[in-house]
Amino acid sequence: MSATLLVSTRKGLFVLERQAETWRIAQRVFLGDNIALSMIDPRDGSWYAVLDLGHFGNKLQRSTDRGSTWNQCAVPAYADGDEVVTGDGKPPHPAALRLIWSLEAGAADQPGRLWAGTVPGGLFRSDDSGSSWQKVRALWDMPARHQWAGGGYDQPGIHSICIDPRDSRRICVAISTGGVWRSDDDGANWRQTAQGMRAAYMPEDRQLDPNIQDVHRMVQCPSQPDVFWAQHHNGVFRCTTGGGDWKEIVDVQPSVFGFAVAVHPRDGDTAWFVPASKDQCRIPVDGNVVVARTRDGGRSFSVLRAGLPQHDAYDLVLRHALAIDTSGECLAFGSTTGGFWTTNDQGEHWHMLGARLPPVYAVAFASNSNR
Amino acid sequence: MAHVVLASALSRWLPASAGKSAQDVALDVSGTNLGEVLEGVFERFPNLRGYVLDEHGAVRHHVALFVDGTSIIDKRSPTQTLNDHSEVYVMQALSGG
Repeated sequence: MSATLLVSTRKGLFVLERQAETWRIAQRVFLGDNIALSMIDPRDGSWYAVLDLGHFGNKLQRSTDRGSTWNQCAVPAYADGDEVVTGDGKPPHPAALRLIWSLEAGAADQPGRLWAGTVPGGLFRSDDSGSSWQKVRALWDMPARHQWAGGGYDQPGIHSICIDPRDSRRICVAISTGGVWRSDDDGANWRQTAQGMRAAYMPEDRQLDPNIQDVHRMVQCPSQPDVFWAQHHNGVFRCTTGGGDWKEIVDVQPSVFGFAVAVHPRDGDTAWFVPASKDQCRIPVDGNVVVARTRDGGRSFSVLRAGLPQHDAYDLVLRHALAIDTSGECLAFGSTTGGFWTTNDQGEHWHMLGARLPPVYAVAFASNSNR
Repeated sequence: MAHVVLASALSRWLPASAGKSAQDVALDVSGTNLGEVLEGVFERFPNLRGYVLDEHGAVRHHVALFVDGTSIIDKRSPTQTLNDHSEVYVMQALSGG
């Protein structure tokens, strides 16, 4: 089981360490700063933190000594002439980095490789651990990008990046809003693979258009990489063939709406969600924080609530704020009202962190090899 | 030669050699216009560029630049002429909570 958690919050990065059944705050880094995301590189154990400084833009910091010291990396940059063109009627305007919304390490055979998904919709690649970044031109230059739109933010953004463990040239990214795009050749060519997703809130003739699908979060089962799960604005979807034939799962209790999803690392039939009431009411159903878990590919769900607040709770869990460790036993999630819970038994029992955190944006476990 | 003051919200991101991170940092930089002076500042503190300017060279939306007590007008092209004793104040705009 993992022994370290990075919790990115509105007011700092909190390093949690395991203490028997529960966790404690062992370190507070960048206290007071807005941490959008953090990532632990499983290849070398280095930590990355995305600082979304309100005044001074996005910064990427890297630590190679478990958070004691940090060095500033470069951040992705848009070139003169790059333009954000969207399909939702907003006027085109020059592209500039708004947010590093996703950050993933490349495969073991790609030392130094990082992928960053951004708002306003560009995917970037680094081959030197973040010292420099190149925009993935082929994805940015696709005419279909001009039909993407704002979802989570005013501008389109890439919030999920999945790298196939069998072949690191196979990359899937999910966009809010822009569906799911897949490359089989390390980013040189891309194709839309959100077919099967449905957006009931759109005009009828656009509801099945893959390029307008508002995926909130997408995850890939590491040991069954053809299995993907997505929490979508419209509900929950699952794909078992690597893309292109998503199936809607309608019977999620207590609600199909939410942002976060986690999949078991060795069982693509097992996944977790943290539902909210609905689009227009982004709070837990009836004020009860619950986790929905399926063990049979979405045919049935258990509603897990032991140890979670069961009255007058208004916690919303954002898309990167639910994480699972490599054992598949431990999960953790944090909320926009600073609640934080962990489980060591796949969600049967939850433990609340004895602290009131700032709003939680993202949660990451260190893999076992990195403690 | 312009006298440049970097507000403490910025100076905390400078290397330790620049001074105490909780205080304003002041430096004299040569240049006849604002663009040259900013370049001189970034030469001394390369990391600072991305805090003050975006990737297109515009002053960030939430950064304020004052020249001799007056806020600059054109944040997209900060190139206005300075005099021999101009003071340039770089600070965070007041916003948020």
